[in-house]
Amino acid sequence: MQIKKILNEKEIRDIEKLIEKNYGCKINLGKYKVFKTGEEKIWIVEKGVDMELCKKLRCYAMGMYFGKLKRNNKIKLSMEGAMMIGKIAKKNVAVIDEGEGMKFIEGENVIASKLIGCEQNNFVIIKMNEDILGVGILRENFIENLVPKARRINF
Amino acid sequence: MIPDAEKLFSASTEWKSIRVNTLKIGRDELLERLSEKFEVREMPWYENGFFIKGDMTKSLEYYLGYYHVQEAGSMLPPLVMLPDKNDCIIDICAAPGSKTTQMAMMMENEGIIFANDVNSKRLRALAHNIQKCGVVNCIILNHDGRFLWKKGIKGDKILLDAPCTASGKIIKNKNMTWSYGRVIRMSKLQKRLIESASKCLIDGGTLVYSTCSLEPEENEEVIDYAIKNLNMEAEKIELVGIKTRRGIKRWGDKEYEGAEKAIRIWPQDNLTEGFFICKLRKY
Repeated sequence: MQIKKILNEKEIRDIEKLIEKNYGCKINLGKYKVFKTGEEKIWIVEKGVDMELCKKLRCYAMGMYFGKLKRNNKIKLSMEGAMMIGKIAKKNVAVIDEGEGMKFIEGENVIASKLIGCEQNNFVIIKMNEDILGVGILRENFIENLVPKARRINF
Repeated sequence: MIPDAEKLFSASTEWKSIRVNTLKIGRDELLERLSEKFEVREMPWYENGFFIKGDMTKSLEYYLGYYHVQEAGSMLPPLVMLPDKNDCIIDICAAPGSKTTQMAMMMENEGIIFANDVNSKRLRALAHNIQKCGVVNCIILNHDGRFLWKKGIKGDKILLDAPCTASGKIIKNKNMTWSYGRVIRMSKLQKRLIESASKCLIDGGTLVYSTCSLEPEENEEVIDYAIKNLNMEAEKIELVGIKTRRGIKRWGDKEYEGAEKAIRIWPQDNLTEGFFICKLRKY
Protein backbone atom coordinates (compact mmCIF):
# COMPACT_ATOMS: atom_id res chain seq x y z
CA MET A 1 0.00 0.00 0.00
CA GLN A 2 1.43 3.30 -1.09
CA ILE A 3 0.30 6.06 1.25
CA LYS A 4 0.18 9.31 -0.70
CA LYS A 5 -0.67 11.62 2.15
CA ILE A 6 -1.66 11.52 5.81
CA LEU A 7 -4.33 14.17 6.13
CA ASN A 8 -4.01 16.96 8.66
CA GLU A 9 -6.89 18.31 10.74
CA LYS A 10 -7.92 20.88 8.16
CA GLU A 11 -7.92 18.34 5.36
CA ILE A 12 -10.01 15.96 7.48
CA ARG A 13 -12.47 18.78 8.16
CA ASP A 14 -12.66 19.43 4.41
CA ILE A 15 -13.76 15.84 3.91
CA GLU A 16 -16.32 16.13 6.70
CA LYS A 17 -17.68 19.26 4.98
CA LEU A 18 -17.82 17.41 1.68
CA ILE A 19 -19.89 14.69 3.34
CA GLU A 20 -22.16 17.28 4.91
CA LYS A 21 -22.66 18.95 1.53
CA ASN A 22 -23.40 15.67 -0.25
CA TYR A 23 -25.32 13.78 2.42
CA GLY A 24 -26.59 16.49 4.77
CA CYS A 25 -25.05 14.99 7.90
CA LYS A 26 -22.12 15.59 10.18
CA ILE A 27 -19.61 12.89 10.95
CA ASN A 28 -16.49 12.96 13.04
CA LEU A 29 -13.52 11.58 11.11
CA GLY A 30 -11.17 13.32 13.54
CA LYS A 31 -11.26 10.27 15.79
CA TYR A 32 -9.32 8.35 13.13
CA LYS A 33 -6.11 8.83 11.25
CA VAL A 34 -7.17 9.58 7.70
CA PHE A 35 -4.93 9.08 4.70
CA LYS A 36 -5.01 9.05 0.93
CA THR A 37 -3.67 6.45 -1.47
CA GLY A 38 -3.60 6.57 -5.29
CA GLU A 39 -6.66 7.71 -7.25
CA GLU A 40 -7.74 9.91 -4.32
CA LYS A 41 -8.86 6.95 -2.24
CA ILE A 42 -9.56 7.81 1.40
CA TRP A 43 -8.81 5.35 4.20
CA ILE A 44 -9.42 5.55 7.94
CA VAL A 45 -7.42 3.79 10.60
CA GLU A 46 -7.36 3.73 14.40
CA LYS A 47 -5.74 6.88 15.74
CA GLY A 48 -3.06 5.08 17.78
CA VAL A 49 -1.37 3.59 14.70
CA ASP A 50 2.27 4.61 14.32
CA MET A 51 2.39 5.58 10.65
CA GLU A 52 6.19 5.97 10.68
CA LEU A 53 6.65 2.39 11.87
CA CYS A 54 4.22 1.20 9.23
CA LYS A 55 6.25 2.88 6.49
CA LYS A 56 9.16 0.58 7.41
CA LEU A 57 7.02 -2.55 7.06
CA ARG A 58 5.73 -4.31 3.97
CA CYS A 59 2.22 -3.09 4.45
CA TYR A 60 -0.48 -4.56 2.20
CA ALA A 61 -3.35 -2.48 3.59
CA MET A 62 -4.21 -0.41 6.62
CA GLY A 63 -7.56 0.32 8.21
CA MET A 64 -10.76 0.57 6.23
CA TYR A 65 -11.39 1.96 2.76
CA PHE A 66 -13.83 4.80 3.28
CA GLY A 67 -14.39 6.24 -0.17
CA LYS A 68 -12.94 7.95 -3.18
CA LEU A 69 -12.86 11.68 -3.90
CA LYS A 70 -14.33 12.52 -7.29
CA ARG A 71 -14.51 15.61 -9.46
CA ASN A 72 -16.97 18.41 -8.71
CA ASN A 73 -16.77 17.93 -4.93
CA LYS A 74 -18.33 14.50 -4.91
CA ILE A 75 -17.39 11.41 -2.95
CA LYS A 76 -18.03 7.79 -3.85
CA LEU A 77 -18.38 5.99 -0.54
CA SER A 78 -17.34 2.39 -0.02
CA MET A 79 -20.04 0.04 1.29
CA GLU A 80 -18.68 0.44 4.80
CA GLY A 81 -18.36 4.21 4.36
CA ALA A 82 -22.01 4.27 3.28
CA MET A 83 -22.96 2.22 6.35
CA MET A 84 -21.21 4.72 8.62
CA ILE A 85 -23.13 7.62 7.13
CA GLY A 86 -26.31 6.06 5.80
CA LYS A 87 -28.35 6.02 8.98
CA ILE A 88 -27.92 9.75 9.56
CA ALA A 89 -27.82 10.94 5.95
CA LYS A 90 -30.53 13.42 4.98
CA LYS A 91 -29.65 13.93 1.31
CA ASN A 92 -28.82 11.75 -1.66
CA VAL A 93 -30.53 8.74 -0.16
CA ALA A 94 -32.51 6.39 -2.40
CA VAL A 95 -34.96 4.09 -0.68
CA ILE A 96 -35.72 0.81 -2.44
CA ASP A 97 -38.19 -1.96 -1.66
CA GLU A 98 -37.22 -5.55 -0.87
CA GLY A 99 -37.68 -6.82 -4.42
CA GLU A 100 -35.35 -4.16 -5.79
CA GLY A 101 -33.04 -4.73 -2.83
CA MET A 102 -32.42 -8.34 -3.83
CA LYS A 103 -31.71 -7.21 -7.39
CA PHE A 104 -29.30 -4.59 -6.09
CA ILE A 105 -27.35 -7.19 -4.10
CA GLU A 106 -27.06 -9.26 -7.28
CA GLY A 107 -25.47 -6.30 -9.05
CA GLU A 108 -28.42 -5.10 -11.13
CA ASN A 109 -29.55 -1.53 -11.66
CA VAL A 110 -32.67 -0.70 -9.66
CA ILE A 111 -35.58 1.72 -9.36
CA ALA A 112 -36.11 3.68 -6.15
CA SER A 113 -39.45 3.84 -4.38
CA LYS A 114 -38.48 7.12 -2.73
CA LEU A 115 -35.72 9.66 -3.30
CA ILE A 116 -34.58 11.87 -0.42
CA GLY A 117 -32.85 15.04 -1.57
CA CYS A 118 -31.23 13.28 -4.51
CA GLU A 119 -29.30 15.04 -7.24
CA GLN A 120 -29.24 13.65 -10.74
CA ASN A 121 -25.93 11.94 -11.65
CA ASN A 122 -24.66 12.09 -8.09
CA PHE A 123 -23.78 9.21 -5.82
CA VAL A 124 -26.67 8.07 -3.67
CA ILE A 125 -26.80 5.87 -0.60
CA ILE A 126 -29.12 2.90 -1.07
CA LYS A 127 -31.40 2.15 1.83
CA MET A 128 -33.80 -0.78 2.27
CA ASN A 129 -35.83 -0.74 5.48
CA GLU A 130 -33.16 0.09 8.06
CA ASP A 131 -30.28 -1.50 6.16
CA ILE A 132 -27.76 0.38 4.05
CA LEU A 133 -27.01 -1.71 0.98
CA GLY A 134 -24.28 0.42 -0.58
CA VAL A 135 -24.13 3.19 -3.15
CA GLY A 136 -25.24 3.83 -6.69
CA ILE A 137 -25.51 6.72 -9.13
CA LEU A 138 -28.87 8.29 -9.74
CA ARG A 139 -29.54 8.31 -13.50
CA GLU A 140 -32.64 9.64 -15.22
CA ASN A 141 -34.86 6.59 -14.76
CA PHE A 142 -32.88 4.22 -12.59
CA ILE A 143 -30.03 3.82 -10.12
CA GLU A 144 -26.79 2.53 -11.51
CA ASN A 145 -25.41 -0.27 -9.36
CA LEU A 146 -21.95 0.24 -7.85
CA VAL A 147 -21.71 -2.87 -5.68
CA PRO A 148 -18.20 -4.34 -6.17
CA LYS A 149 -18.29 -7.71 -7.93
CA ALA A 150 -16.63 -9.45 -4.97
CA ARG A 151 -19.48 -8.36 -2.70
CA ARG A 152 -22.42 -9.33 -4.92
CA ILE A 153 -24.52 -12.38 -4.14
CA ASN A 154 -26.54 -14.41 -6.62
CA PHE A 155 -29.62 -15.77 -4.94
CA MET B 1 -4.59 -41.65 20.40
CA ILE B 2 -8.13 -40.65 19.35
CA PRO B 3 -10.71 -40.92 22.11
CA ASP B 4 -14.13 -42.19 20.95
CA ALA B 5 -12.78 -42.66 17.42
CA GLU B 6 -16.00 -44.24 16.14
CA LYS B 7 -17.91 -41.08 17.13
CA LEU B 8 -15.35 -38.92 15.34
CA PHE B 9 -16.04 -40.44 11.96
CA SER B 10 -19.80 -40.26 12.35
CA ALA B 11 -19.95 -36.72 13.76
CA SER B 12 -22.56 -34.46 12.18
CA THR B 13 -21.54 -31.88 9.58
CA GLU B 14 -25.06 -30.60 8.89
CA TRP B 15 -24.69 -27.55 11.11
CA LYS B 16 -22.40 -24.74 10.02
CA SER B 17 -21.21 -22.00 12.29
CA ILE B 18 -21.20 -18.23 12.07
CA ARG B 19 -20.03 -15.38 14.27
CA VAL B 20 -22.01 -12.19 14.78
CA ASN B 21 -20.12 -9.10 13.69
CA THR B 22 -20.97 -6.82 16.58
CA LEU B 23 -19.13 -3.97 14.85
CA LYS B 24 -22.17 -3.79 12.58
CA ILE B 25 -25.15 -5.28 14.38
CA GLY B 26 -26.26 -6.34 17.85
CA ARG B 27 -26.28 -10.04 18.68
CA ASP B 28 -29.96 -10.27 19.59
CA GLU B 29 -31.10 -8.34 16.53
CA LEU B 30 -29.17 -10.67 14.24
CA LEU B 31 -30.47 -13.75 16.04
CA GLU B 32 -34.02 -12.53 15.52
CA ARG B 33 -33.44 -11.85 11.83
CA LEU B 34 -31.72 -15.16 11.17
CA SER B 35 -34.31 -17.16 13.08
CA GLU B 36 -36.87 -16.08 10.48
CA LYS B 37 -34.77 -17.59 7.67
CA PHE B 38 -32.78 -20.47 9.12
CA GLU B 39 -32.79 -23.08 11.82
CA VAL B 40 -30.46 -21.48 14.39
CA ARG B 41 -28.83 -22.86 17.54
CA GLU B 42 -26.90 -20.76 20.02
CA MET B 43 -23.32 -21.79 20.70
CA PRO B 44 -23.02 -22.84 24.35
CA TRP B 45 -19.48 -21.52 24.77
CA TYR B 46 -19.68 -18.21 22.91
CA GLU B 47 -22.55 -15.75 22.95
CA ASN B 48 -21.68 -14.38 19.52
CA GLY B 49 -21.51 -17.77 17.84
CA PHE B 50 -24.44 -19.59 16.22
CA PHE B 51 -24.91 -22.91 14.47
CA ILE B 52 -27.06 -22.68 11.36
CA LYS B 53 -28.62 -25.15 8.95
CA GLY B 54 -28.80 -23.91 5.38
CA ASP B 55 -26.72 -21.91 2.92
CA MET B 56 -25.73 -18.95 5.03
CA THR B 57 -23.59 -17.37 2.30
CA LYS B 58 -26.78 -16.38 0.48
CA SER B 59 -28.55 -13.98 2.76
CA LEU B 60 -28.96 -10.24 3.05
CA GLU B 61 -27.24 -10.31 6.44
CA TYR B 62 -24.21 -12.08 4.97
CA TYR B 63 -24.01 -9.52 2.17
CA LEU B 64 -24.10 -6.72 4.73
CA GLY B 65 -21.27 -8.24 6.79
CA TYR B 66 -23.54 -8.68 9.81
CA TYR B 67 -21.97 -12.09 10.36
CA HIS B 68 -18.85 -13.93 9.39
CA VAL B 69 -18.82 -17.59 8.43
CA GLN B 70 -16.29 -19.10 10.81
CA GLU B 71 -15.64 -22.60 11.99
CA ALA B 72 -16.76 -22.97 15.61
CA GLY B 73 -13.38 -24.23 16.82
CA SER B 74 -11.64 -21.30 15.20
CA MET B 75 -13.56 -18.91 17.49
CA LEU B 76 -11.76 -20.34 20.52
CA PRO B 77 -8.18 -18.98 20.25
CA PRO B 78 -9.37 -15.33 20.55
CA LEU B 79 -11.54 -16.36 23.51
CA VAL B 80 -8.46 -17.83 25.15
CA MET B 81 -6.43 -14.71 24.38
CA LEU B 82 -9.08 -12.19 25.55
CA PRO B 83 -7.85 -9.18 23.58
CA ASP B 84 -8.30 -5.82 25.26
CA LYS B 85 -9.04 -2.39 23.76
CA ASN B 86 -5.59 -1.11 24.67
CA ASP B 87 -3.62 -4.05 23.31
CA CYS B 88 -1.19 -4.18 20.46
CA ILE B 89 -1.73 -7.64 18.99
CA ILE B 90 0.26 -9.49 16.36
CA ASP B 91 -1.54 -12.17 14.40
CA ILE B 92 1.37 -13.89 12.70
CA CYS B 93 -0.48 -16.17 10.24
CA ALA B 94 -3.66 -14.15 9.87
CA ALA B 95 -5.22 -15.01 6.48
CA PRO B 96 -8.09 -15.36 5.75
CA GLY B 97 -8.83 -13.29 8.85
CA SER B 98 -11.61 -14.99 10.81
CA LYS B 99 -9.75 -14.74 14.09
CA THR B 100 -8.33 -11.32 13.20
CA THR B 101 -11.78 -9.84 12.66
CA GLN B 102 -13.06 -11.57 15.79
CA MET B 103 -10.27 -9.99 17.84
CA ALA B 104 -10.96 -6.57 16.27
CA MET B 105 -14.58 -6.99 17.27
CA MET B 106 -13.66 -7.97 20.83
CA MET B 107 -11.44 -4.86 20.98
CA GLU B 108 -14.36 -2.75 19.71
CA ASN B 109 -12.19 -1.51 16.86
CA GLU B 110 -9.66 0.05 19.23
CA GLY B 111 -6.04 -0.83 19.96
CA ILE B 112 -3.96 -2.20 17.11
CA ILE B 113 -3.72 -5.54 15.33
CA PHE B 114 -0.84 -6.33 13.03
CA ALA B 115 -2.35 -9.00 10.80
CA ASN B 116 0.49 -10.70 8.98
CA ASP B 117 0.62 -13.43 6.38
CA VAL B 118 3.41 -14.67 4.17
CA ASN B 119 1.12 -15.75 1.36
CA SER B 120 0.38 -12.75 -0.81
CA LYS B 121 -2.52 -14.52 -2.54
CA ARG B 122 -4.28 -15.11 0.78
CA LEU B 123 -3.84 -11.46 1.75
CA ARG B 124 -6.58 -10.53 -0.68
CA ALA B 125 -9.08 -12.64 1.28
CA LEU B 126 -7.76 -11.18 4.53
CA ALA B 127 -8.19 -7.60 3.27
CA HIS B 128 -11.66 -8.43 1.92
CA ASN B 129 -12.82 -9.81 5.27
CA ILE B 130 -11.34 -6.92 7.25
CA GLN B 131 -13.11 -4.41 5.01
CA LYS B 132 -16.39 -6.32 5.03
CA CYS B 133 -16.40 -6.49 8.82
CA GLY B 134 -15.80 -2.74 9.06
CA VAL B 135 -12.51 -3.11 10.93
CA VAL B 136 -10.39 0.03 11.31
CA ASN B 137 -7.69 -1.11 13.74
CA CYS B 138 -5.83 -3.58 11.51
CA ILE B 139 -2.61 -3.21 9.63
CA ILE B 140 -2.09 -5.99 7.11
CA LEU B 141 1.52 -7.03 6.68
CA ASN B 142 3.15 -9.34 4.18
CA HIS B 143 6.21 -10.80 5.87
CA ASP B 144 7.52 -14.29 6.43
CA GLY B 145 6.46 -14.98 10.02
CA ARG B 146 9.78 -16.71 10.73
CA PHE B 147 11.56 -13.37 10.32
CA LEU B 148 8.90 -10.97 11.57
CA TRP B 149 10.92 -10.28 14.75
CA LYS B 150 13.55 -8.56 12.60
CA LYS B 151 11.05 -5.82 11.68
CA GLY B 152 11.02 -4.24 15.11
CA ILE B 153 7.38 -4.67 16.04
CA LYS B 154 6.45 -5.81 19.53
CA GLY B 155 3.07 -7.05 20.70
CA ASP B 156 1.39 -7.28 24.11
CA LYS B 157 -0.33 -10.41 22.85
CA ILE B 158 0.41 -12.69 19.94
CA LEU B 159 -1.77 -15.16 18.14
CA LEU B 160 0.12 -17.89 16.34
CA ASP B 161 -2.48 -19.94 14.54
CA ALA B 162 0.21 -21.92 12.83
CA PRO B 163 0.11 -23.52 9.39
CA CYS B 164 -0.52 -27.22 9.94
CA THR B 165 -1.53 -30.49 8.33
CA ALA B 166 -5.14 -29.67 9.25
CA SER B 167 -5.98 -33.22 10.28
CA GLY B 168 -8.60 -31.82 12.66
CA LYS B 169 -10.69 -31.05 9.59
CA ILE B 170 -11.17 -34.76 8.99
CA ILE B 171 -14.78 -34.44 10.10
CA LYS B 172 -15.50 -32.32 7.02
CA ASN B 173 -12.99 -33.83 4.63
CA LYS B 174 -12.86 -37.56 5.16
CA ASN B 175 -10.80 -38.09 1.98
CA MET B 176 -7.86 -35.97 3.10
CA THR B 177 -4.37 -37.30 2.49
CA TRP B 178 -1.85 -37.57 5.29
CA SER B 179 1.88 -38.25 5.47
CA TYR B 180 4.19 -38.41 8.44
CA GLY B 181 6.86 -36.56 6.45
CA ARG B 182 4.52 -33.58 6.16
CA VAL B 183 3.81 -33.67 9.88
CA ILE B 184 7.54 -33.46 10.59
CA ARG B 185 8.06 -30.63 8.09
CA MET B 186 5.20 -28.70 9.66
CA SER B 187 6.54 -29.30 13.15
CA LYS B 188 9.90 -27.76 12.17
CA LEU B 189 8.16 -24.73 10.62
CA GLN B 190 5.94 -24.32 13.69
CA LYS B 191 8.98 -24.28 15.99
CA ARG B 192 10.61 -21.56 13.91
CA LEU B 193 7.40 -19.56 13.94
CA ILE B 194 6.96 -19.82 17.70
CA GLU B 195 10.57 -18.73 18.15
CA SER B 196 9.94 -15.64 16.03
CA ALA B 197 6.67 -15.02 17.88
CA SER B 198 8.43 -15.13 21.25
CA LYS B 199 10.88 -12.48 20.05
CA CYS B 200 8.01 -10.23 18.96
CA LEU B 201 6.36 -10.52 22.38
CA ILE B 202 6.97 -8.13 25.27
CA ASP B 203 8.13 -9.61 28.58
CA GLY B 204 5.05 -10.71 30.48
CA GLY B 205 3.06 -10.85 27.26
CA THR B 206 0.71 -13.65 26.20
CA LEU B 207 1.12 -15.95 23.24
CA VAL B 208 -1.74 -18.15 22.11
CA TYR B 209 -0.64 -21.05 19.96
CA SER B 210 -3.21 -23.01 18.01
CA THR B 211 -3.52 -25.44 15.14
CA CYS B 212 -6.32 -27.48 13.62
CA SER B 213 -4.15 -30.60 13.66
CA LEU B 214 -4.38 -33.59 15.91
CA GLU B 215 -0.72 -34.69 15.78
CA PRO B 216 1.34 -34.21 18.97
CA GLU B 217 4.38 -33.31 16.84
CA GLU B 218 2.54 -30.18 15.68
CA ASN B 219 1.12 -29.32 19.07
CA GLU B 220 2.47 -30.51 22.40
CA GLU B 221 5.97 -30.91 20.94
CA VAL B 222 6.00 -27.26 19.80
CA ILE B 223 4.84 -26.12 23.25
CA ASP B 224 7.50 -28.28 24.88
CA TYR B 225 10.10 -26.62 22.61
CA ALA B 226 8.88 -23.13 23.60
CA ILE B 227 8.92 -23.89 27.32
CA LYS B 228 12.41 -25.41 27.21
CA ASN B 229 14.02 -22.85 24.89
CA LEU B 230 12.11 -19.56 24.76
CA ASN B 231 11.45 -18.39 28.34
CA MET B 232 7.80 -19.29 28.13
CA GLU B 233 5.48 -20.95 30.60
CA ALA B 234 2.09 -22.51 29.93
CA GLU B 235 -1.00 -21.05 31.57
CA LYS B 236 -4.27 -22.69 32.42
CA ILE B 237 -7.10 -22.12 29.96
CA GLU B 238 -10.62 -21.47 31.22
CA LEU B 239 -13.44 -22.03 28.74
CA VAL B 240 -17.02 -22.56 29.76
CA GLY B 241 -19.66 -24.58 27.92
CA ILE B 242 -17.35 -26.60 25.72
CA LYS B 243 -15.95 -30.06 26.25
CA THR B 244 -12.17 -29.96 26.14
CA ARG B 245 -9.55 -32.59 26.85
CA ARG B 246 -6.03 -32.13 28.12
CA GLY B 247 -3.00 -32.15 25.87
CA ILE B 248 -1.12 -35.41 25.36
CA LYS B 249 1.60 -35.75 27.97
CA ARG B 250 3.39 -38.79 26.58
CA TRP B 251 3.76 -39.78 22.94
CA GLY B 252 5.99 -42.73 22.08
CA ASP B 253 9.19 -42.23 24.02
CA LYS B 254 8.64 -38.47 24.36
CA GLU B 255 7.28 -36.58 27.33
CA TYR B 256 5.99 -33.06 26.80
CA GLU B 257 6.13 -30.16 29.25
CA GLY B 258 3.11 -27.89 29.42
CA ALA B 259 0.77 -30.45 27.84
CA GLU B 260 -1.40 -30.64 30.96
CA LYS B 261 -2.32 -26.96 30.55
CA ALA B 262 -2.99 -27.14 26.81
CA ILE B 263 -6.41 -28.14 25.53
CA ARG B 264 -7.59 -30.35 22.71
CA ILE B 265 -10.99 -30.00 21.15
CA TRP B 266 -12.12 -33.15 19.44
CA PRO B 267 -14.65 -32.98 16.58
CA GLN B 268 -16.94 -35.60 18.10
CA ASP B 269 -17.33 -33.64 21.35
CA ASN B 270 -18.79 -30.29 20.28
CA LEU B 271 -19.73 -30.09 16.57
CA THR B 272 -16.43 -28.38 15.78
CA GLU B 273 -13.30 -29.23 13.88
CA GLY B 274 -10.43 -30.60 15.91
CA PHE B 275 -8.31 -27.93 17.55
CA PHE B 276 -5.31 -27.62 19.80
CA ILE B 277 -4.79 -24.47 21.89
CA CYS B 278 -2.15 -23.48 24.39
CA LYS B 279 -1.69 -20.19 26.22
CA LEU B 280 1.88 -19.22 27.03
CA ARG B 281 3.36 -16.35 28.98
CA LYS B 282 6.82 -14.95 28.39
CA TYR B 283 8.89 -14.29 31.50
